[in-house]
Amino acid sequence: MGKILRVNLTAKSLNVEKTSEDVARKYLGGKGYAVYLIYRYLREYEKAGTSPKDIDALGPKNVLIFATGPGTGVPGFPSSGRYHVMALRSPLTGSIGSANSGGEFGPFLKFSGFDMIVVEGASETPVYLAIVDGEAELRDASSLWGKNVFDTCRMLMDKVGGKNTSVACIGPAGENLAYMACIMNDDHRAAGRTGLGAVMGSKKLKAIVVSGDEKVPVAERERFSEVSKRCLDAMKNNPVTGVGLPTYGTAILINIINTAGGLPYKNWQTGVNPDAEKISGETLAETYLISRRSCWGCPIGCGRVTSVKSGPFQVLASEGPEYESIWALGSSTAVKDLDAVVKANHYCDEFGLDPISMGSTIAAAMELNEKGCIPTEDLQGLDLRFGNSAALVEAVWRTAYKAGFGKYLALGSKKLCEIYGHPELSMSVKGLEMPAYDPRAIKGIGLNYATANRGGCHVTGYTVSPEVLGIPEKIDPIKAEGKAKWVKIFQDFTCVVNSTVNCLFTTFALGAKDYAELLSAVTGWKLTEDEILKIGERIYNLERVIINKYGFDGKDDTLPKRLLEEPMPEGPAKGQVTELEEMKGEYYKLRGWVNGVPTKEKLAELEIEL
Amino acid sequence: MTTVSVKILLFATLRSKYKTRELTVACNGTLLSMIESAAKLLGPEFIDDVYDRKKGKARNDMIIMVNGRNIKDLEGEITLKDNDVVAIFPPLAGG
Ligand code: SF4
Repeated sequence: MGKILRVNLTAKSLNVEKTSEDVARKYLGGKGYAVYLIYRYLREYEKAGTSPKDIDALGPKNVLIFATGPGTGVPGFPSSGRYHVMALRSPLTGSIGSANSGGEFGPFLKFSGFDMIVVEGASETPVYLAIVDGEAELRDASSLWGKNVFDTCRMLMDKVGGKNTSVACIGPAGENLAYMACIMNDDHRAAGRTGLGAVMGSKKLKAIVVSGDEKVPVAERERFSEVSKRCLDAMKNNPVTGVGLPTYGTAILINIINTAGGLPYKNWQTGVNPDAEKISGETLAETYLISRRSCWGCPIGCGRVTSVKSGPFQVLASEGPEYESIWALGSSTAVKDLDAVVKANHYCDEFGLDPISMGSTIAAAMELNEKGCIPTEDLQGLDLRFGNSAALVEAVWRTAYKAGFGKYLALGSKKLCEIYGHPELSMSVKGLEMPAYDPRAIKGIGLNYATANRGGCHVTGYTVSPEVLGIPEKIDPIKAEGKAKWVKIFQDFTCVVNSTVNCLFTTFALGAKDYAELLSAVTGWKLTEDEILKIGERIYNLERVIINKYGFDGKDDTLPKRLLEEPMPEGPAKGQVTELEEMKGEYYKLRGWVNGVPTKEKLAELEIEL
Repeated sequence: MTTVSVKILLFATLRSKYKTRELTVACNGTLLSMIESAAKLLGPEFIDDVYDRKKGKARNDMIIMVNGRNIKDLEGEITLKDNDVVAIFPPLAGG
């Protein structure tokens, strides 16, 4: 087993401990191991008399965990260049903080000698953590404070040098505690969701730089080579992982989701965007694409290197935007100028903001403003109307610096809409802005949004795959029946992927059986398909126990009123609402939960020790 | 059978291969006749790109949507009506 670095920023202490095999057998690594640690922290706080509900997400009691898993950084393990970040609480939602990122940071963290970094406490002055060849050190970061993401990455890369060096950091948004600030790594890759950049900012931890060339262990080499080759071949020969994603990246979804009537437009007033073609993956590829970029060890290479060659939104070289970013910054705001969307996305990377929550919050502000709910003096000249490209781009940097109206936007859509008296206009679940699929047209994803532990999230259980894309089999998106079982299995399996840690996109070509074989060969444990799915279910349930401690239960497993009560006005899902209660009842039954809380019997069955 | 006019939209690799974003064809209302009419404009390869002749139905990996509804989700034989919009996507994904 590997090592965990425990850093206390208050005490400025660094301690090394062994990764526990017992914990890893039950929770793998990555997200699963981090969820286990978070639960232990909460128990310790409870014993010391602090209720989990009283933990301030931006206070020193919050803990931030950077986690890799048994697959991360193993050459030949499909798309294993990722890492998972978690926090006890998210400043945006008050629920658990959780996000995942690609690039190179995950594997290079492992090569530097550690499986995980656990960050406790808070520093009074800016610091960064350097881990080089197994040696960790906290260093002064006052000269980096205030720098954007690209400058921070470049300066630390120059300083540390060497091969296999990577930087994860925050930009001004994280420093200024914008609630949708993310943690960025390798310039353009983001642990995007739930505001973990603000948690890092509250700890005055500007960056982590890792470097090293330690080999990652593989228990059964020969067996692993065989399984790896088979899985990589399957990915190469799969039309989605072998052709679709490499050729077009994720943005190719814009047109198909719009055709299905599920591309939210104008803050989810409808699911049909009349200008989808202008911001589509096809348009991005024809006009903006320079080249592809892969995360470490990934044969898919869905990343896009792009540029806006001239004009007011010129960007010489950027990455993305991904499907989600185009939707949030473009479709939800009704901005049809892809130049502006690329620029806004670039600013999100430069300043360290989650484009989904950012775009969705701007869209909510646009609707509030068009309804006359925002006093002119609050806007300070920001012309927030649907479709206004210049206002979109300006709103992003204003949020990062909390300048003018940016200080309201930086709170996220839930608090923003509460302040202006229309909480129902925040298109969020548990305070997390939902991604780019309208559940009135794609029912299963609505159940997933409602029940996702971290809040409105698509990658907790991506049922769009069977519902629209027909992978692994086609099911009807506008039918509610039978969706609960898909949501449950996708949520459980995704926990396995995020605890491995590798890329969810492999699952378009690989199934649980492939994962069981890959993980068995790497760890030397004999894991079956059923066993890894049980591990996934265990992780999901323990995460649920954690959010129950913060006060979230069945009442919070819901969707914005608009999706439950306002019929879809047009398109193939015209007249549809989301039949959430019907799906939720079935889902709770399958999960063994009552009102969003796992029963004692369920926890015992999953061998979760409380 | 009456003749109907159908708009076909092509996406992703189909669009780049045939250098066509949309076309309107006349057909007798069956999927095959629509595809054959399109093949007259796009070239004969188009038939095999989207249709499985052996099985006598649309290729299983293609995503074909009539007015936004996937044909796999529609019951019975597909009968196209005048002014229907048929969107054809190769296998694709994202997230
Ligand atoms: S599929 Fe895309 S996001 Fe996933 S690891 Fe590969 S390049 Fe990164």
